[in-house]
Amino acid sequence: MTGQPRTAAADVVVLGGGMAGLVAAVRLAEAGLRVVTVAKGHGSLRLSPATIDILGYGPGRVDSPAQALPGFAEAHPGHPYAVVSPAAVAMSVQWLKEHVDTYSYVGDPSANMLLPTAIGVPRPSAVAPETMAGGDVRTAGPMAIAGLGVFKDFHPALAAENLQAATAAYGRPVQARPVLLDLPSAGQPDFGAVGLARRFEDAAFRSQVAAELRAAVHGEETIGMPAVLGMDQARSAWTELQQATGRPVFEIPTAVPPSVPGMRLASALHARLRRAGGRFVLGAEAVGPQLSNGTLTGVRISSAARVAPRMCRWVVLATGGLASGGIEVEVSGAASERALGLPVHGPGPGDAGFLPGYWDDHPMETAGLRVDSRLRPVGPGGEPVYPNVYAAGAVIGGARPWREKSGDGISLSTGYLAADAILEEAG
Amino acid sequence: MTAEQEFDFIRDSLDHCVKCTICETACPVAAVTPLFPGPKYVGPQAERFRGAGQSVDASLDYCSSCGICTLACPQGVHVAEINSRARAVMKQQHGMPLRDQLIARPPLQGKLGTPVAPVANFVLSNRLARLVAEKTLGIHRNAPVPKFAGRTFRSWARRQPAPASAGTRRVAYFHGCSTNYFEPGLGRKAVAVLAHNGCQVVLPRQGCCGLPLQSNGIFDAARGYVRRLVAGLAPYAKQGYTIVATSTSCGLMLKREAREILGVEDDDLRAVSSQTYDICEFLAGLAEAGELQTDFRPVPLTVTYHAPCQQQGHNIGKPALDLLALVPQLKVIELDRTCCGIAGTYGLKREKYDIAMQVGSGLFGDIRAARPDLAVCDSETCRWQITHGTGRTSVHPVEILHRAYGLG
Amino acid sequence: MEEGRHANIRLDAVAATAPIECEVLVIGGGSTGVGVARDAAMRGLSTVLVERGDLATGTTGRFHGLLHSGGRYAVKDPQAARECIAENIVLRRIAADCIEDTGGLFVTTPIDDPGYADRFVAGCTDTGVPVEEIGVAEALRREPRLNRRITRALVVPDATIDAWKTVWTCARSAAEYGARILPYHEVTAVTRAGDQVTGVVARNQGGETVEIRAQVTVNASGAWAGLLAAMAGCRVQISPGKGIMLATNHRLVQTVVNRCDMPADGDILVPVRTVSVIGTTDTLVSDPDDWAVTRAEIDQMLQAGENLVPGFAGSRVLRLWGGVRPLFQDHAPQESRDVTRAHAVLDHRARDGVAGLLTITGGKFCTFRLMAQDAVDAVCAVLGTTRPCRTADEPLPDSEDRHYYVLGSRLAGRERTLLDEQVICECELVRRGRLTDEMARRPAPSLDDLRRAVRLGMGPCQGGFCMYRAAGILHQTKHLSAAEADRALLAFLEERWKGYYPLLHGDQLRQAWLDDWIFQGVLDAGHLPLRAPARRPDTETAQST
Repeated sequence: MTGQPRTAAADVVVLGGGMAGLVAAVRLAEAGLRVVTVAKGHGSLRLSPATIDILGYGPGRVDSPAQALPGFAEAHPGHPYAVVSPAAVAMSVQWLKEHVDTYSYVGDPSANMLLPTAIGVPRPSAVAPETMAGGDVRTAGPMAIAGLGVFKDFHPALAAENLQAATAAYGRPVQARPVLLDLPSAGQPDFGAVGLARRFEDAAFRSQVAAELRAAVHGEETIGMPAVLGMDQARSAWTELQQATGRPVFEIPTAVPPSVPGMRLASALHARLRRAGGRFVLGAEAVGPQLSNGTLTGVRISSAARVAPRMCRWVVLATGGLASGGIEVEVSGAASERALGLPVHGPGPGDAGFLPGYWDDHPMETAGLRVDSRLRPVGPGGEPVYPNVYAAGAVIGGARPWREKSGDGISLSTGYLAADAILEEAG
Repeated sequence: MTAEQEFDFIRDSLDHCVKCTICETACPVAAVTPLFPGPKYVGPQAERFRGAGQSVDASLDYCSSCGICTLACPQGVHVAEINSRARAVMKQQHGMPLRDQLIARPPLQGKLGTPVAPVANFVLSNRLARLVAEKTLGIHRNAPVPKFAGRTFRSWARRQPAPASAGTRRVAYFHGCSTNYFEPGLGRKAVAVLAHNGCQVVLPRQGCCGLPLQSNGIFDAARGYVRRLVAGLAPYAKQGYTIVATSTSCGLMLKREAREILGVEDDDLRAVSSQTYDICEFLAGLAEAGELQTDFRPVPLTVTYHAPCQQQGHNIGKPALDLLALVPQLKVIELDRTCCGIAGTYGLKREKYDIAMQVGSGLFGDIRAARPDLAVCDSETCRWQITHGTGRTSVHPVEILHRAYGLG
Repeated sequence: MEEGRHANIRLDAVAATAPIECEVLVIGGGSTGVGVARDAAMRGLSTVLVERGDLATGTTGRFHGLLHSGGRYAVKDPQAARECIAENIVLRRIAADCIEDTGGLFVTTPIDDPGYADRFVAGCTDTGVPVEEIGVAEALRREPRLNRRITRALVVPDATIDAWKTVWTCARSAAEYGARILPYHEVTAVTRAGDQVTGVVARNQGGETVEIRAQVTVNASGAWAGLLAAMAGCRVQISPGKGIMLATNHRLVQTVVNRCDMPADGDILVPVRTVSVIGTTDTLVSDPDDWAVTRAEIDQMLQAGENLVPGFAGSRVLRLWGGVRPLFQDHAPQESRDVTRAHAVLDHRARDGVAGLLTITGGKFCTFRLMAQDAVDAVCAVLGTTRPCRTADEPLPDSEDRHYYVLGSRLAGRERTLLDEQVICECELVRRGRLTDEMARRPAPSLDDLRRAVRLGMGPCQGGFCMYRAAGILHQTKHLSAAEADRALLAFLEERWKGYYPLLHGDQLRQAWLDDWIFQGVLDAGHLPLRAPARRPDTETAQST
């Protein structure tokens, strides 16, 4: 269907521009459907470390998501992974690897890497950008963790010390020591991750960093750096830094938003979407379904000055969960789904959504939509609310993504499968 | 709702800020200069320290008012609007240069320049005169300023016979100042394209929408301008005319900014807002309903398309792409850049010209690399900036449609 | 002063090898205790102050920040009103840098007794509280968000005062006059020689014991005064009166707004720094450490706010907390709000036959200086000396020029350093230098102490962005080991949770989730090594491959 005049309404309206929405939109557009993605703003993918975490803790640390998923799904019947098969997860990972062309993703669901965080915890991730994989403490040798004085969002000394302690506790101690680069040439004292990544696009700046690194790093060490090594040019910046220092370099995701790797991934998926002819409407919000005799025929979209319907045959609802506002909790404690008013499974008004201990399992954490086997949101009786609405990503309840390290896997696989279901119907 | 309560609605949107910094990653100005601390900083963050006294943060003047922060914010913070209001307070308290007063009034420039267009254009293109203007007024010597057409769009339109069109769609054309004084050809083409699609086009009396005043922080005068404009358009809106704009930023003023930034709130404005459409939005709506004339002739050109920030502020995506896709043999390259830097009058200013050119450098590079026959863009000041930055001719999407329809 | 302006406050972490000797020992590091220490030191008495936690973490650090004009008490408690206006004038003179001159409004809302306003004006006139009536339209012009159905509006010289800053500045001044200020020294025993109190034994942060010997011991432990007195075998009846407060994300009003009626729950809305605080309730509790907040109390505050500022219930609340007032009475407890706000100096020689121990209790923040004056007068009487009090005239450090604090000052300060210095807490614009200065003068700062000291993490994100930075800087500058930094971070997260979990919804829930995304999701702080918070995810490997 590509290349046909776009005189008619869209086939699919995708609500939400995060990981789940973009994956679904790219798949559908590449298959030739007319896709309009409507996003209230830029999605939270830009805050993500862009590792593809499938299952990190369940609750004990998971070594192989592929092996752990069936048991995990059985133990958590309301979890999205009870709907998404391990095979679908693997397919979606493969799809993503083929669709990010700015750099490679490495790893697969059969084993978790343990990649250092900015505070030095080895964090389980199944799939990660090639720029990060060298930090895998399952195999890594001694490390020099290098920070920059101009960058307040990465503290190499704390990361290195914690990493040594944590890897020792895990049974394979990794030597790690901090290096703090002065970089008087940076030009200003207070960089955010993005500002610094833009500086790394400049070859002269990179070579100064490399020179300082060479002087500070010992011969056998792998260099860990905050994930700010370039924006669009990350692969060449990273490669060049390795050549210039003569040492392997890996990136450590920074925790304080925004995330440079997340922006790289978002940018790569957006480029794919553009190339496939998908349309992207930014700053507009879905405020309800457009119904005709009970059938959903479009989505009511609020833009400047008015609310108007966008007609379509299918909807992918990927507006995010509690963090993004796809699921809203009122002062009364009631949770609702904001775009289409779909029924939310979770604590009701007056229920204790949150418990007194920070680390408790808060009932509200898992609030969200329930879906059928084709990812269609269901009502209390288990029947789809609309036959042509599919949910993807964190708007689906049942997971504790922060703790399980499961959010990316859920978003990727459900975005992939929602597109699958629509493509199947489109024939 | 009163204007004050409306003000609260904008200010209160700072409650939605979770500090995620997405606005700062999208801000084109903060990306090129440390002088601007970024939209999160000057918007929801600094706003908590304002309100009880003096305006103390001059850095917010480096905001170009492009509005990309509001657009990018996933939580619904009206970042740019908060900034604009804070800047108005700043200018009220600390005064503003004559330059800002002058460049913020296109009708004044138009009325002065049009009768003496050759002279005015000579002065504007004279290096010495521009140097003087830079020294005395602070308008950068190289900044892109348009040429006076000499004959206004309205004076052309007055001499046209009443359109014989039996069209059923009633359209009131909001051409704006730039079409009237600088690009009357665009107005002629827009009217022709609309008429070709069965529109009965009328030209209500109209002046400046006040946008340049607003973006320079001169709110009282801006409110006066927009109220006069709205008073002229409201009778049409109430009679069911669709108000169609070719100046995407002036259209946005009617749709949203008059209310959200200037705090104007009345029935007339509501009627006008809800009936106002950007011309590509309007035509794409016809297309979606299957009612657009599709008798396009091949246009064997390669064009780039840049959706300017003010166009994105309509939250309608890029309808121009859907329209241009209908034109046979037209190759359209969609550019992925947010801003050309000019932001209305921002890039004219001596102290901001370099920043504006740096903001636009990515876009200029992409256009030069694409080697297009034409650079398509919906906003007039952006077209002038693109031409200034790339040397390429830049046109409004409707000009391509006009050609494809074979209208002249 | 070579290490910066705070350098001469001695915040010793190490146990003294020999007992510390002094003339006056003050127990309690709230406003009263610090006020007593400063006053005593200024009169030339050798003075030591001990506080179980950080300064101003009890009742003082948990109040709404309103510097009363006295209007609130003008009808009900004229004596309290007279004290308030007198001290209001004094504090404006000596502590201007801690005060924002917001002014105050008493407004008759639809639920208020319409006749009260006239009694209020009469009461203010009688007690010397300046009052001026303005038109409703003018009141709404000044405060556009106010309930449009108010019928009267009266202007009084209320203001807001930063309790932490006031206490720390007093402590600094006391130290400059030679006092030793010892936070994190918890009294474990009051020592006696026969019927004479001779001092205390305290335990410091490191768990070591410090003995302090004093000629006079002043029990200034506020709501805890009964417990302290009991350690000396004396009896003081304190009725702890709990009040809860909520802070909104930004200022909804720029003036202190009071309901013009008899004092009631939730009838004041106070603009303090960047937030508005609504308060408060008043319930008798048995334990001064019990300030747990119930959902019903929260709803009550939201409703009360709605009456003053329509839409209040929908605004973003950052945090909630409770404070416990030290209401002193020698009779059986009644309704808490009916207990007098007056203060009392008790000499336990007369009451209990125990010499060398005074208790200063009751009162309120606004009269802390006067309370201290009365207490030190009594100390002087015990010591058989007469030395004049000078605290009403000598300004606190940084207040010498009598310029009030203004809301925009941090923003203005940040503007000046935009290109020179990092900002660590973005919400409250805390610059790196301000943070490291504060760290340098503390032996082992907790992140929560830094929060109070410089407002680190007090804004919308509640430390989500700055606490990782602060922990990293504390570790890098060797103030904390890695294990301590990790524990500090986890303790901060757990403490913060208590401050907002009962009303997480809307924007603040999204904020909390983003913060947890940072700490749990990206940093994986739940699996930091070697640390054992109360409960956290299991770190055992579930399966082996």
